[in-house]
Amino acid sequence: MKYLLKFISAGRAQPGSVELVERLDVTPLQDARTRGRASTTSNRWRGVKPLQLLLVAIGLQGVVTLHAQPANTGPVPIPRVVDDATERRAGYLARVQEMLTWRAGLAKPADPATFNLQEIVAKLALREDAAICSARVIELMKKPTSDMFWMFPVTCISYLGRDQLTPEAKAAVREAWRTYFPLRGDTENHWIMYYSSLHLMAQLWPGESGDRWFNGKSSDENFAESRDYILHWMNLTTTIGQGEYDCTHYIGEYSIPMLFLSAWAKDPAMRQRGRMMLDYVMADFAVETLDGIYIGSHARTDDNNVLEKWNGLSSAFSWLFFNNCPPPLNFGSWPMYFATVASHYDLPEVIYRIGTDRSGAYTHYERKRTRHRWRLSDQRNAPVYKTSFLTADYAVGSDQGGLLQPIQQHSWDVTWAVPDPRGVHNTIFSVQAHYSVDELMMYFTEMPDSMPKAVTFQSKPTYISEDKLLGGSPYEQIFQQDDTVISLSDVPAGATFEQVNGFFSKDLAKLEEDASGWIFVQGGRAYIAYRPLAPYEWRPLEKGGKRLRSPHGKNGTIMQAASASEFKSWDDFKTKIRALPLAIALTPTPTVAFTTLRGRKVECAYGAAPRVDGREIDHARDWKLFSGRYLNSEVGSGVLTITHGRLKRVLDFNTVTITDAVAP
Amino acid sequence: MNMRVRTIFFAVALAATAATRAADYAHDMYVCANISGQGQVMGGRAVIASGLQRSRDRVSFEHLGPPHIRLFSVTRDPHDAGTLFVALLDGVLRLRHDGSARRTMTDWRMTEPHVIAFDPNAPEHLYIGLPDGIGVSHNRGQSWRRANEGIRRAYTHALTIDRTSAGRVLAGTELGIYLTEDGAKTWRLVQPTTKVTYDIRQSPAQPAAFLAVTSSDGAWWSDDAGRTWRAIAGVPTKHTLHNCDFDRSDAQRMLIGGWGAGVRVSEDGGRTWSDRSAGLPSRDINRVSADPDIPARIYAAPHLAPLHVSDDFGRTWRPLTFEKAIVYDIVFLARN
Repeated sequence: MKYLLKFISAGRAQPGSVELVERLDVTPLQDARTRGRASTTSNRWRGVKPLQLLLVAIGLQGVVTLHAQPANTGPVPIPRVVDDATERRAGYLARVQEMLTWRAGLAKPADPATFNLQEIVAKLALREDAAICSARVIELMKKPTSDMFWMFPVTCISYLGRDQLTPEAKAAVREAWRTYFPLRGDTENHWIMYYSSLHLMAQLWPGESGDRWFNGKSSDENFAESRDYILHWMNLTTTIGQGEYDCTHYIGEYSIPMLFLSAWAKDPAMRQRGRMMLDYVMADFAVETLDGIYIGSHARTDDNNVLEKWNGLSSAFSWLFFNNCPPPLNFGSWPMYFATVASHYDLPEVIYRIGTDRSGAYTHYERKRTRHRWRLSDQRNAPVYKTSFLTADYAVGSDQGGLLQPIQQHSWDVTWAVPDPRGVHNTIFSVQAHYSVDELMMYFTEMPDSMPKAVTFQSKPTYISEDKLLGGSPYEQIFQQDDTVISLSDVPAGATFEQVNGFFSKDLAKLEEDASGWIFVQGGRAYIAYRPLAPYEWRPLEKGGKRLRSPHGKNGTIMQAASASEFKSWDDFKTKIRALPLAIALTPTPTVAFTTLRGRKVECAYGAAPRVDGREIDHARDWKLFSGRYLNSEVGSGVLTITHGRLKRVLDFNTVTITDAVAP
Repeated sequence: MNMRVRTIFFAVALAATAATRAADYAHDMYVCANISGQGQVMGGRAVIASGLQRSRDRVSFEHLGPPHIRLFSVTRDPHDAGTLFVALLDGVLRLRHDGSARRTMTDWRMTEPHVIAFDPNAPEHLYIGLPDGIGVSHNRGQSWRRANEGIRRAYTHALTIDRTSAGRVLAGTELGIYLTEDGAKTWRLVQPTTKVTYDIRQSPAQPAAFLAVTSSDGAWWSDDAGRTWRAIAGVPTKHTLHNCDFDRSDAQRMLIGGWGAGVRVSEDGGRTWSDRSAGLPSRDINRVSADPDIPARIYAAPHLAPLHVSDDFGRTWRPLTFEKAIVYDIVFLARN
């Protein structure tokens, strides 16, 4: 299936995002996407031998090459674990090459206006059209804009262009860094991009005085300050967790600066730290993916990505490293910067295997932190406690609820595996719909009253909407045990919305409202039981599916997921769920006692610590920075141990060392 | 005289008048504003250059500062009238009066100061209010230290230096007004509040009198140099009050602006207050200010609207400049 691709250049976040505007033609061979959908009820790879898979993969790769078709509209990659390191590396580099070639192909030498920063970066990475790139750089440096999102590409151009750009182009870049004063920004991703760029540019132009720099600081001062911040950020992240953790569309903003540092920093310690942090970010990502999709709780996602889970930039990195999903439509935008120096990085095999092995269910725990809190909190960075449960068929992930991040927090969901995730809403979750001036005051420094409406003009249109499906709530408490989630809410009168919104996908294979009060659904190979705690009504959703609207302040959701293969039949699943011991009370505060499918008795009461089999859960005591089968790290340690099977890698940020081990 | 000639004549006359007036004014007017609209986000493409604007004649404005959408306040180096210090998202920026010779004086440890002030009795000392405390420099911004020990919830949006005594500073924080009398070494809470204190001003006529405004705790008055405070009757308490000002030409006149509160003025030393919002495009006022050089002239900055001016202390208004502005501060800095 081929689509005409239209590139949108407006806005900073999607420079180069792609819009499917017209379907041109379909051929049986190309339409693997359609074929994949036809097999949704079974494991599409079950019973296929590795050699057959390899042959199919080679064949499909040929189709992609033959038609020069970008991978995002091509066939779904066949998920398989590539044992051979050389083959794995070759595949990775081939995908890198595709990104670069595709992006560079958007620049037409006959029309220099088509050479924007991203196209120039791609061209320079491919060592093509240096003269046109130089001329165009001179033009583009006359009107710099977009702050740290400008610094970042221009740093890339400067390094890639060291032996390609003309002296005049280099001078234009140098002059722009003197005259254009980019904002440092107010988020973690802004700062790491800003300071990584500044660090590398100060390295590129050493020994210059303050009058040569936009901020009036000398090269030495900029170099030292940026190094100081970068080390601070690394230390904070590896001791108490990342603030903008596990974002579906910001992973590039962290991984790309780290790659730049690992590739271009002259200081070997900074190079090593960049490489280690890249391992860190990728391991953190790999362990919470299902077929390349970032699952569970996110500090930030967006209105589209929260439904179509695959369609975030994070999936581009899954495609690049694990080749287990199609790249998202905008894979040629930010990830393309990664591609420019991707050859400098080799994903450790231990992380690769974590990202691709879903042969057995596992529970993974993480501690993160909130973004900086400025008002209405005595904690600058409150802890975030995450739990994720992953199987080959589905994944469940959550945080503890509350206002952990402003605006774009996503607290829990179930994601089920699908053969082709494109256009599919393979998720179910609920939110206590909430917005408030207090939420924004906590995380932003501005005057309070104008902020809620302003947010809706800044790419977060649903923030103040009653039907919102994104965002945290101070009145929601969540606990997850294995593949069970219990969310309780107790909304005081007068709060913005006294209701729970549940998302029910258009892509559910089954949906039955049971007289018992459970709602039974099937998504892919997952059976899911969803129990609203208060009366509800259904509302249609513009993007398909429907919203469970439960307009009651004392409320909540119980969700139990399982694999279809665990049951004799759909009816068997329903019977077993109905038989599970369950006690619900909503007054004076919501309380649930539920014995899960896994035989654990979970007791949750709003405002109290949860209990499992009679033992009180103490998040502060029990949650490490990472703990589980694959990743382990103590809070405050600065050491991450990554394990898969016999493979082990230890990242020690105290000694700046990487230690690999293979068990005999 | 045809229309074209009349237009040219009028423009020349206006310019001449403005030039004449400009020469008369003792202060330049600075406006710190986002004029790019609320859809402008950090990292986005800037269509219009926001930032620091200056007017010498109260008619025309020139863009001075970096084109930042978060540029909060400005003050002047007491040693050198040609040097400005700006509080902006990136920290503290020093620049010449023509916008040149910029230098960021803070590093990553200090961000988003919303207020900046020199101590007139210790002119090497520069204070900034940060979202996580207070920064003090004893060498005009060359180096900094944190100075908010003892302040709980140290979000600091207001700092007023008592012009009668070196090292005496009032800070408006999240949970009240704090006073230091030793250059920020120690602070004591002099007026608790439940919400943020957004502005504190010292009366130009009575050095011991201070006016403060808060978010949902109304306005407060002190007659004893900030040691004790009393709530001012007649000022709304359900609105966020953004700032306040005194009319330097009349000791009895003062004004307050806020979100939903419109413009409130008093002409009897704060005993009674009148709503002077009629004629403004909205009651959501980001900033008000009294002109130190023109008696009865005040300014109001409605949210996402032109900056407005009144020459009769708020009885009538007219738009002055900008189209859709979010004004963070209006500052009058004395010329040499």
